[in-house]
Amino acid sequence: MSKNTDLRHRRKVSQDPTKASKSDNDKVNKGFESYKRDKLVAIYQALRSDPVDVAALRKFAISKGGLLTDEIRRKAWPKLLNVNMFDTLPKGVNIKEHRDYDQVVLDVNRSLKRFPPGMKDEQREVLQDQLVEVIVRVLCENKQLHYYQGYHDICVTFLLVVGKESSVMLVNKLSTHHLRDFMDSTMDRTKHMLNYLLPIIHKSNPTLYDFLQKSEVGTVFALAWLITWYGHVLNNFRSIVRLYDFFLACHPLMPVYLAAAIVLYREEEVLNCECDMPFVHSLLSKIPQNLPLEKLIVDAGDLFVQYQPSQLAKEARLYYKQSSSLTTFQQLEESSQSQRPDSILQKLTGRNASANEVPLSQQSNRMVKVAVWALSMGIGAAALTVLNTAMEFWT
Amino acid sequence: MATTSNSNINSINEEQESSSTSQDSPSQRRIFKVIVLGDSNVGKTCLTIRFCGGEFPQKPEATIGVDFRDKDMTIEGESIKQLQLWDTAGQERFRKSMVQHYYRNVHAVIFVYDVTKLSSFENLPTWVDECDRHSLSSNIPRVLVGNKCDITERKVVSTNMGQKFAEHNDMPFFETSAKSGEVGESVNNIFLYVAKKLKSQKPTINMRAGFGGIAGSGRTSVRRLKLKSTGIQGFEPEKSKSKCSGSTCFS
Repeated sequence: MSKNTDLRHRRKVSQDPTKASKSDNDKVNKGFESYKRDKLVAIYQALRSDPVDVAALRKFAISKGGLLTDEIRRKAWPKLLNVNMFDTLPKGVNIKEHRDYDQVVLDVNRSLKRFPPGMKDEQREVLQDQLVEVIVRVLCENKQLHYYQGYHDICVTFLLVVGKESSVMLVNKLSTHHLRDFMDSTMDRTKHMLNYLLPIIHKSNPTLYDFLQKSEVGTVFALAWLITWYGHVLNNFRSIVRLYDFFLACHPLMPVYLAAAIVLYREEEVLNCECDMPFVHSLLSKIPQNLPLEKLIVDAGDLFVQYQPSQLAKEARLYYKQSSSLTTFQQLEESSQSQRPDSILQKLTGRNASANEVPLSQQSNRMVKVAVWALSMGIGAAALTVLNTAMEFWT
Repeated sequence: MATTSNSNINSINEEQESSSTSQDSPSQRRIFKVIVLGDSNVGKTCLTIRFCGGEFPQKPEATIGVDFRDKDMTIEGESIKQLQLWDTAGQERFRKSMVQHYYRNVHAVIFVYDVTKLSSFENLPTWVDECDRHSLSSNIPRVLVGNKCDITERKVVSTNMGQKFAEHNDMPFFETSAKSGEVGESVNNIFLYVAKKLKSQKPTINMRAGFGGIAGSGRTSVRRLKLKSTGIQGFEPEKSKSKCSGSTCFS
């Protein structure tokens, strides 16, 4: 097995910030405390603005530490999703009649790992009942949505942070937007999303890409990452909610960019692995629990700005042709279209609507492409500002 | 710092009992790929974890997509490098879209149902058809496993029902409990049976021949399996039945 030592790229494991010395850590901690204080003030300011400064909230959700506390998340997550928390979804629906009810109960019963260790059984059981209710009420509200195993991992995160009623509202919105593709009757569109993964890696590190292709590992190792927003694979709840801040503020494909960042970060391990599907699948699917998430979040953002989805789509098309199980680019475009958050866009002012009208093909400016893609894919016009900011921050 | 190839191997084989992988070159390796199929919550994950040397999981979780586990084995003096177990999600949507890739190059199939849940038994034909559709040949050993047989008070699929289905489909049949080692066939013996069957059947494994290479199911009576009595009362104690779990006993 070749060590491939001559094939290293810019991402070195030695950059791992967890390896910093103690005194370095003290300095970093002090610096972070002060950064955190300033950030808290700024977040509350954004929340108090009229209208709420959602662009700033997105920036804070992306940048180091994310939204910092669950108290802020309870206030900011609804704003990121444009959900009016004073609305409610119908209660008293007969959830047991839903076609997916039995499957939901099976999965929720097996979700013990997702609850804080040490929580009393009675308390956890109440929360599990609430989790079933959250899931099925959203499904009842949206007849076109199909439950998938892993959806419960997302819902439990919301339940534990914002409580039952707020979860219903937030998950309802998320399910018709970011998660919409996962909730078709089939997983074809989920596969489409996963098919961005290898082209991103190809762009960033052709050697690693070649290795992955040769191993025939596919992308299913990242399936649980994508459809649970890493809730199923990370054990630390704080890490999970930090990632949710990031994903709620970003493009629906961002979990795939993070997956790419993780694979790229593990380049050395991967290249040292036997180049055969089971070995590579096994290595990659077991996600290390000590990943430097903040670094990887920056990496993912960096990848997003460098290799925009619209640009990748063309290459993904080539990739699809090689793969008989995949459908055409046109269908990919259709799937992208269906993620458009109409309710958000309709409420936007003329300023934002005009940004949406810029024809993609006529623009050479990279930032405009990113922004238009962002709009068409569903994170809303407010993200334009964030992406401008993020661009400066990341590049 | 940089991860060494050693830790890499450890991470791959963290669930293995043996750690001799690094000693042999890949060319010497005999690998048997086994896919585990069945409805949601029948215990596929627990069975594979138990076989790979793990404890029965206290907090089992739904499998999303496909999980991979492996174990090094020595069968009748020959070191089979690995029995690779592909543990699949039970929900239909995963089966339709995601799992196909893993039917590829499969050497054996283990069908699992839950003896306390009739629907998981009634759905077995769907799983068998699924295999046929993926051109898995009749030469590929297939095994039927009724899991959770420790829950006798809620058992709704009788041993006789399981056995009949197995006979009809030319499969050996086991009842077991991933949770309790006291009842039914031991999990280990089931997988050992599969490994022995594979070893006796295919001295040379063609690693790339499986997918799409064999047209049609052609499930004829090539093999006449002599099924052992599988009544719960009829199970022999684990130690004495090791002699019976070899291929000679079943073929």
